[in-house]
Amino acid sequence: MTNDELLDAFPGVRLDQDNAAYYRGLLDGELLINRCDDCATWHFPARSACPRCWSRSVTPTAVAGTGTIVLLTMLHQGSRKEGADYTVGHPLVAVELDEQPGLRLGGTVLGVDPRTVQLGERVRIVIRRLEGRGPRVDFERMP
Amino acid sequence: MSPSRRNPARDQVAIVGLGRSAYGRDRLGCTPGSLVLDAAIAAARDAGVGAADIDGICGSTVAAGYVQAALGIARVSWFSNPPSVIGNQIVAAVAAVNSGMCETALVYHNAYRMPFASRSAGRDPMRRRAMLGLAETRSAWGTGHAESGANSMFGANAYAAWAGRYLHDYGYERDTLGLIAINSRTNAASNDNAVYREPLTMQDYLAGRMVRDPLSVYDMDIPVDAADAFIITTTERARYLAQTPVLVHAATLGHTDYGIEEQLVDLDHAGQVVVAERLWAKSELTLADVDVFYPYEGFSNIALSWFENVGYCGRGEGGAFVRQHWVEDEQRILIHGRIPVNTHGGSLSEGGTQGAGHLYEACLQLRGTAGIRQVPGASVALVTPGGYYFNSQGFVLRRGA
Repeated sequence: MTNDELLDAFPGVRLDQDNAAYYRGLLDGELLINRCDDCATWHFPARSACPRCWSRSVTPTAVAGTGTIVLLTMLHQGSRKEGADYTVGHPLVAVELDEQPGLRLGGTVLGVDPRTVQLGERVRIVIRRLEGRGPRVDFERMP
Repeated sequence: MSPSRRNPARDQVAIVGLGRSAYGRDRLGCTPGSLVLDAAIAAARDAGVGAADIDGICGSTVAAGYVQAALGIARVSWFSNPPSVIGNQIVAAVAAVNSGMCETALVYHNAYRMPFASRSAGRDPMRRRAMLGLAETRSAWGTGHAESGANSMFGANAYAAWAGRYLHDYGYERDTLGLIAINSRTNAASNDNAVYREPLTMQDYLAGRMVRDPLSVYDMDIPVDAADAFIITTTERARYLAQTPVLVHAATLGHTDYGIEEQLVDLDHAGQVVVAERLWAKSELTLADVDVFYPYEGFSNIALSWFENVGYCGRGEGGAFVRQHWVEDEQRILIHGRIPVNTHGGSLSEGGTQGAGHLYEACLQLRGTAGIRQVPGASVALVTPGGYYFNSQGFVLRRGA
């Protein structure tokens, strides 16, 4: 896939050379997070250096995709671009991935009664396609 | 490394002019530029300086070059446009004046109701057009976030999530946040520049329209069209000017490497912690000397954290502290029965100007010209603009001679 095709697949996203692999991964159904080749530290969002040891050798690497909800808000108004339903409330969470303390992703929780989402819940990632904006990472409860 | 105590600018630079536009929610005819010019002209006249006296310009989103041309400021030796919020402009100007890059700086910040933040602004075609070329969201800032929308944990969404985490971790209910909102509203009643002045009861607060749980419409700053401006010069030069100078005793910004909302591991790693540590290291005054306190409360939970970080209480105790110092008869906070908080009504009632209104009011109080809300004998103010991640700032200001 060319860079032009990648940009076309994610209109409205601030895509650049540092995060392109993350978005290419989403198109392939994979969540890739940058990991240091020298000290194995993960970081997000994607940058070109390891924040722990300053190595410039970092590799987008697949993660297990499981984690814990550490931040939660229920949105009652906002953008309708991504199909959010505000009638009951749209849950927005940050999930700490199991790979490393503090390694977090934001997204919504799918397939649940929004009123039942709680801090501390175990979730796993879902990569879903949204009309007109390309795939993105959200979450679902662990079965 | 222990925090540096070095502070060669201490008391050497003064705020000598104050100006502002009216704060409004019904002024569709204004532009960011016209608001800044309102404030800048008022500040210069207040200080008793003219275009020929100003040789430095520092503002937020309206370009310094625009203001220079619009006001016919013939020659400047220093100008800058740091990002919001107000402390970034002030510390830059203090450093520029103290180092000799310029003698007298015009500093300004404006707020402008964007179509996505205000229903009435959203109905105005001129406002919709005004968004072109402006950052729609944080995703345009290049801080790392690449997306925006309902599924993105940043900006107001993230402040709500951190508010929820705070209530959850320390066992508070929403009424604790409500005290911050009511305090601001009570104080706004005596500020004729405030956009919301009618009393707010706890019952009203708890019935407020929920926007981002647990933050309701009363917990988030009021979008306004407004600008504030400040004239900053040397304390030496201030002696020959019209107004009682407000001396910048200590000033700092604070940032940690957790500068992105959802990546902040906990509130011990917020920029506010750095501000408090550096500010008190650089100051010869202490918390006990403070007469008036201006913790930013653009989201109500931010103010609770400021109480904790500046040293009034420990982590998680902000809510209990505010309740302990709540004066029921007055429906506001008086720390130790003496020190009022956000005497102007803050971002929650005067209007949201990202801390510029807090600074402006602190200067009025130290001059002794705050009118019916003047705190008798106020001589030291603690002003802490900004929130958790990338814009925490602190100032110890004192009344000059």
